[in-house]
Amino acid sequence: MFYQTPLKTAAILLLLTAALVYSLVAGFFGLEVLTEVAILVIVAIALDLVAGYGGMISLCHGALFGVGAYAFASATVLLGWDASIGLALAILTACLFAWVIGAITARTHGIFFIMATLAFGQMGYAYVFESRTFGGDDGLPGVPRLDLSGLGIDLNDSFNFALLCVALATVAYLLAAALLRSGFGRTLVGIRSNELRMRALGLPVWRHKAAAFAISGALAGLAGALAAQHTMFVSPGLLHWTLSGELLIMVILGGLGTLVGAVVGAGLLVFLKHEVARFTEHWHLVVGLVLIAVVLGGGRGLYGQAEHLWERRQAARKAATAAKETPEHA
Amino acid sequence: MLEAQDLRKSFGALTVTNRVSLEVARGERRVVLGPNGAGKTTLFNLLVGELPADSGQIKIAGEDVTALSMDARARRGMARSYQKNNLFSGLTVRENLSLSAACAQGKAKTVAMDSLRDAGVAETVREMASLVGLTELLETSADSISYGARRRLEVGLALASRPRVLLMDEPTSGIGPGGIHAFHALLRGLPAELTIVIVEHDMDLAFDIADRVTVMNFGEVVFDGPPQAARESALVKDIYLGTWAEQP
Ligand SMILES: Nc1ncnc2c1ncn2[C@@H]1O[C@H](COP(=O)(O)OP(=O)(O)OP(=O)(O)O)[C@@H](O)[C@H]1O
Ligand SMILES: [Mg+2]
Repeated sequence: MFYQTPLKTAAILLLLTAALVYSLVAGFFGLEVLTEVAILVIVAIALDLVAGYGGMISLCHGALFGVGAYAFASATVLLGWDASIGLALAILTACLFAWVIGAITARTHGIFFIMATLAFGQMGYAYVFESRTFGGDDGLPGVPRLDLSGLGIDLNDSFNFALLCVALATVAYLLAAALLRSGFGRTLVGIRSNELRMRALGLPVWRHKAAAFAISGALAGLAGALAAQHTMFVSPGLLHWTLSGELLIMVILGGLGTLVGAVVGAGLLVFLKHEVARFTEHWHLVVGLVLIAVVLGGGRGLYGQAEHLWERRQAARKAATAAKETPEHA
Repeated sequence: MLEAQDLRKSFGALTVTNRVSLEVARGERRVVLGPNGAGKTTLFNLLVGELPADSGQIKIAGEDVTALSMDARARRGMARSYQKNNLFSGLTVRENLSLSAACAQGKAKTVAMDSLRDAGVAETVREMASLVGLTELLETSADSISYGARRRLEVGLALASRPRVLLMDEPTSGIGPGGIHAFHALLRGLPAELTIVIVEHDMDLAFDIADRVTVMNFGEVVFDGPPQAARESALVKDIYLGTWAEQP
């Protein structure tokens, strides 16, 4: 079950502070990286929600992200609608797609679920790639950013845009944490633990899974809309399954089913990508090695391992005080 | 309260239940007996909807639920405990019981509040934990409690949904005489209006609590009647050949 432990709160505050400090000292390139991380954090949180807490290892979250990006680009570039409407549309469209995928795949498990989500994701990719309307493999250029000039904020400034993305990533974390601490979230964890028993207790499980998938999709759609604004351009690559794979790697690197791990993993992967790429083209190799190390080291991930150690210490401390209060009879 | 008519189920060529009929009155304690492989667990799976019957009809409180899914039947007040522990692993005893109570109280889908901190859920959890003797273990992971405690949690999960009809599949298997004794007391403490169907191998317990006994053999009901008649039936003795001592 999810609990917003002091460790989680401390980790999030630390990461947030680091992001803010970094935004002040970073140059243009640094701000671009920070924005990229913040956007990926949102999708990684979306993925952890269903994969880590719902047991649904999805390989279509890249596609949902892409659907959000394309919905935003279509609304603004093709239809000329306001960016705020584009944003709402991106969230709704990805949410709807996710609900449909979730509802159809909810009865499958394990490798079948993974393959089904992969298939849906690749269908989306293939469609966009072929579609004239959406610019085919050239994509759609000229995507505008939200207009917050009414608030005196110019989002074409990369510092402002980076801060907006960091703020929205924080909101995404808070939303996910709140959801996981609700009856809905508790039940989701129950499904991950024992789906059959949950049904035996009277829960229409597939509806619950589809709803969780839809919520996750909405977050992925939000991230997609931000990505489209960030690069001011969308292309089919956004929907490609490799992005779904990378998202899964992020979540596993950081710690599946910890929420904070999604944040850590997104930051870590982007950091590795940029830092290692400075020295060698084979940054994938390095990421692969790190991933293997994490998996062989218990599979808890970086933050997951830290949380594990912390919880063990807490338990030991509790046991020690309990032993002190009730001294054994000599 | 619970009616089954002509239930049939085959796995390939193997007919596991054949024309099984059952009628359990409200508040009745029904004991189902039968040797290994007789089809008792399969009958439970059919009744709760975990398996679809090949043919036949099932009614809860007069309502035909044959076409309803397992979860829809559960929402009509049917609960079961499993022969093999089927708990929420990785979660604490409290979390286990809370999931069940929240489901029954309509708090499993809300995003507006935390079912673990809900007063109604907490109250049920407290009550059930004390009923099945798990109060001390509420904060312990269901994976690290003893087998006997897990067995009690298995029953506790079913009870925490406050069912109208409770099916228990060998709740006392493997828990020893002390455990059986405690379970006996628990059964006596359950509300009188609760309808119970129980598969039980401990004959003293079975005959003590039973209002009526159903005996299955090779997928068929071979006896259905009051416990005294079951005890005296030559057929039942034959099936159970020497598995329980002749009563004086
Ligand atoms: N899913 C299944 N597929 C194939 N055969 C099955 C399946 N489930 C049960 N059976 C078979 O059906 C028969 C009845 O099994 P069931 O579990 O209902 O018996 P039981 O009366 O509960 O026995 P026990 O006292 O051992 O629990 C057995 O022969 C079993 O092997
Ligand atoms: Mg059985």
